[in-house]
Amino acid sequence: MKSFGRRQRTLGVALAALVAAGGAVACSSGDSSGGAAGGTYAIWDPYPQFDDSSAWVKLLTKCGTDAGVTVTRTGYDTTDLTNKALLAAQQNNSPDVLIVDNPVVSTLAEAGVLTTTEETRLDTSAMEPNLLSAGQSGGKTYGVPIGANTLALYYNKAVLAAAGVDPASLTDWAALNAALAKVTAAGKKGITFSAIGTEEGSFQFLPWFWGSGAQLTKLDSPEGVAAVSLWTDWLKKGHAPNSVINNTQTTSWQEFASGDFAFAENGTWQVANAKKLGFEYGIIAIPGKDGGTAPAPTGGEFVTIPVQKQTDRYTASQKLVTCLTSSDNLLATDTTLSYIAPTATVQAKQVAENPELKVWVDAVGAARGRTGDDLGTKYPKVSEQMWKAVQAALSGSKTPQAALAEAQSAAAAATK
Amino acid sequence: MSSSTQTASRDLAAREPARPRARPSRRPAGGGTGRWAAWAFLLPLLAYLIAFYAYPLYRNLDLSLRDYTVRSFVQGDAPFIGLANYREVVDNPTFLPALTHTVVFTAASLVLQFGIGMALAVFFHQHFRLSATLRALFLVPWLLPLIVSASTWSWMLNSEAGVVNTFLGVLGVDPVNWLTSPDWSLASVIIANVWIGIPFNLVLLYSGLQGIPPQIYEAAALDGTTGWQRFWRLTFPLLRPVSAITLLLGLVYTLKVFDIIWIMTKGGPADSSTTLATWSYQLGFGSLLPQFGPGAAVGNLLIVAALAFGLVYIRVQRRQGGTA
Amino acid sequence: MRRATTWWKTGIGLVLTTLMLFPVYWMVNVSFTRDEDMRKTPPDLFPIDGTLEGYRAVVDQQLPHLGTSLLVGFGTVALTLLVAAPAGYSLAKLRPAGGGLVSFVLLVAQMIPGIIMAMGFYAIYLNLGVLNTLPGLIVADATIAVPFGVLIFQAFMSGIPEEITQAATVDGAGPLRTFWSVILPVSRNAGITVALFAFLWAWSDFVFASTLNGGGGLRPITLGIYAYIGNNNQQWNAIMATAVVASIPAAVLLVVAQRYIAAGVTTGAVKD
Repeated sequence: MKSFGRRQRTLGVALAALVAAGGAVACSSGDSSGGAAGGTYAIWDPYPQFDDSSAWVKLLTKCGTDAGVTVTRTGYDTTDLTNKALLAAQQNNSPDVLIVDNPVVSTLAEAGVLTTTEETRLDTSAMEPNLLSAGQSGGKTYGVPIGANTLALYYNKAVLAAAGVDPASLTDWAALNAALAKVTAAGKKGITFSAIGTEEGSFQFLPWFWGSGAQLTKLDSPEGVAAVSLWTDWLKKGHAPNSVINNTQTTSWQEFASGDFAFAENGTWQVANAKKLGFEYGIIAIPGKDGGTAPAPTGGEFVTIPVQKQTDRYTASQKLVTCLTSSDNLLATDTTLSYIAPTATVQAKQVAENPELKVWVDAVGAARGRTGDDLGTKYPKVSEQMWKAVQAALSGSKTPQAALAEAQSAAAAATK
Repeated sequence: MSSSTQTASRDLAAREPARPRARPSRRPAGGGTGRWAAWAFLLPLLAYLIAFYAYPLYRNLDLSLRDYTVRSFVQGDAPFIGLANYREVVDNPTFLPALTHTVVFTAASLVLQFGIGMALAVFFHQHFRLSATLRALFLVPWLLPLIVSASTWSWMLNSEAGVVNTFLGVLGVDPVNWLTSPDWSLASVIIANVWIGIPFNLVLLYSGLQGIPPQIYEAAALDGTTGWQRFWRLTFPLLRPVSAITLLLGLVYTLKVFDIIWIMTKGGPADSSTTLATWSYQLGFGSLLPQFGPGAAVGNLLIVAALAFGLVYIRVQRRQGGTA
Repeated sequence: MRRATTWWKTGIGLVLTTLMLFPVYWMVNVSFTRDEDMRKTPPDLFPIDGTLEGYRAVVDQQLPHLGTSLLVGFGTVALTLLVAAPAGYSLAKLRPAGGGLVSFVLLVAQMIPGIIMAMGFYAIYLNLGVLNTLPGLIVADATIAVPFGVLIFQAFMSGIPEEITQAATVDGAGPLRTFWSVILPVSRNAGITVALFAFLWAWSDFVFASTLNGGGGLRPITLGIYAYIGNNNQQWNAIMATAVVASIPAAVLLVVAQRYIAAGVTTGAVKD
């Protein structure tokens, strides 16, 4: 019976494995990443692209040293981070400092996860009010912006020149439509953007929606319908590719990078990538329907301090946040992230270093917070109905009017 | 050990496969000790189930019966509201389309995966040159994280720059808006899901085939049966227990699928590829403001659906006497 | 007769495998593609102007995580087999009263969305202090495969003729010996199948790894993809390159294992 010896050996290995697993379960406690007393402070951010050798992580470590604490940092995927933050808060395991995308701030504040800047004595006086508003809810401020971005139109100089379009003339929708017609007549492609069924789609649609004078409180106004019709007509006339319905902003950028498109609606964060394009590009603000610059939504993250059981931890956290949002560090961070700084002083420095950023500083200055107008946590519900309506209209399953009317009634019901 | 294996083959070979055997007394003799032993063998599983499934299961039920807002989720003081979440979900205009899409998605995926998987299993069972290697390569899609395989599919099915439309163009077919047209989006996610499901069906059915002793086929070959008859009269009936469990598991996993659809279409456009599973995810985790309650309610409706099919499976299994 | 027919079968097999693996090839193609060519219309079938940028990023940053993935994969296989095989035997052959209920619970268990399971584990692990540990991740990953494993073992073992076990009982073997020296050897196929899927699931798992091990240095390689999914931008060639690098060792393992298994099954009945 040769199997007998083998059997004992296997059993032994199996037992050892069980013991190892069980032992690990029993012993290694106390390795909590946040909450515990002592000199270790947890920071969570949505920048998983930065590893431990990056300037960003070095900055975090340095700010920790300055505040007399050790920093443990974790980078999460943005979409993951909201759920993770809620879950951690539920289990009383919130990080000491949390950096989140701005429209999430009102949700987390509503959940009671975040402290107010008043409570933790954070100074927000230098921040531009339109950027800070995205972190405000019910008259209270829940964090400090670390950088801002917004949307504008990138254009391909060669394509416009070949079609005989002067970018300076593109100051309203009529001029833009005429330019798109010329470009497509010249055999090139018109414009690419992202209309995906997520917050990204709403983010990209808002400049057109607001630019026609529509308000988020009434989606199916004639102005709102005009904005959806603008996009729908682009698809119908072949001025924009059908793929936009499923495009993320990255996909849309890749389409622009192929060199065939005249325009791409994209964000400040692409400025660094734009240098790698194999062609000359320019940037113009997104035009309003009847002229002027359309208000684009503000993007970018907020540094927040989540609620802790031990309130004495706030002192060090406050030092960390102040360090991260000090002028010198903002300049460094926003340069790596390819963002615009949230304070006028640092914005001036950025433009001095890189005059190309002027157009973005202006765009950020004209931008609007999505959760503003006291929408707060109602915004996510309205936004969801809005992107659904845009998708329904673009894919041809509903008319712009019908899609928005339905979205409005659904949004009204959801925000009641 | 060796003798017993051979006994097994001989025994299997000896019996008439198409006719299920009558088995009046299935309980093993031994009474008390047998029962104790049965539970002793189950013990690790039970411990595991209680330790790690009980809480999530309870949690899923609890989420669906309380009025969870983000605030009460964190603070843990959500009021009990009974079945209100379920009522809300069923009354929602998304419910009916989501239900229909779930039925279509599941039925189409199951039939195609199982059919193709069976054909491939029979094909690869013939032991030709490279058969083992090629069969192993069929599993490679399973090594990829879903986020990658689903993204690759949406890449290939892109309306403008997708390689599928390029091939269609070569064949003279007009490009199809696979992911962006409400008429095609459901078909597209079914294609991708079938692709992901084929290896699963192939492996299970293939190992089922390996359990059938070759002597049976040799006997049948003497009788002069054709390949097709051999499949229907011998292989298929003998594979019935494995087929049943493959279909049942396939059903459970297909009902649950959300990530492929989510990555490829987000359930859109205009809810045209929303299933109950994607809707559940959309409600609970897909927006900036999670609605855990209704999300969990939709998830639990899916569990009930799977249970109904589980009951059918167990009844069928009982009627067939457990073995064939 | 066999010799003559096998070659065209190999041909068909190659065609089928090519069709099946085309999406995988496409992933490889994208992993070599430069940003500006990613949405080229029509797309390049081969990465002619390819770039190694994606791979450079991955080799520098991700290779150490391969070991973690392997450990997690094998650990999950071991734990799954350990729990599932005896349970499958019990349900299939010893048939305790209430066994049907257990099968039922297993079905329900599989229907719990992964993310809810992960949330449950998070709470449990936080209290036990095993977040960001290997055994923790193994135990969690095994929850995907254990119900599957039990049901598969049950289905395969119930096909084993009763005469064999009865013969063993007559010989005086207790349930444990019957299980070990009669049932297990005959159920090798089922065991291999379960092991295979346990490994594959653990290898490609995302939800558990990101919820339970997201913060630690012990990350499986699939999670390395996150390094290229930035807040506003995704570096697709690096994402695909990570997946390619992550799947190569596992694919080699699969091919080698399959060859060994195929050999073992055909000769095993006589030799072992």
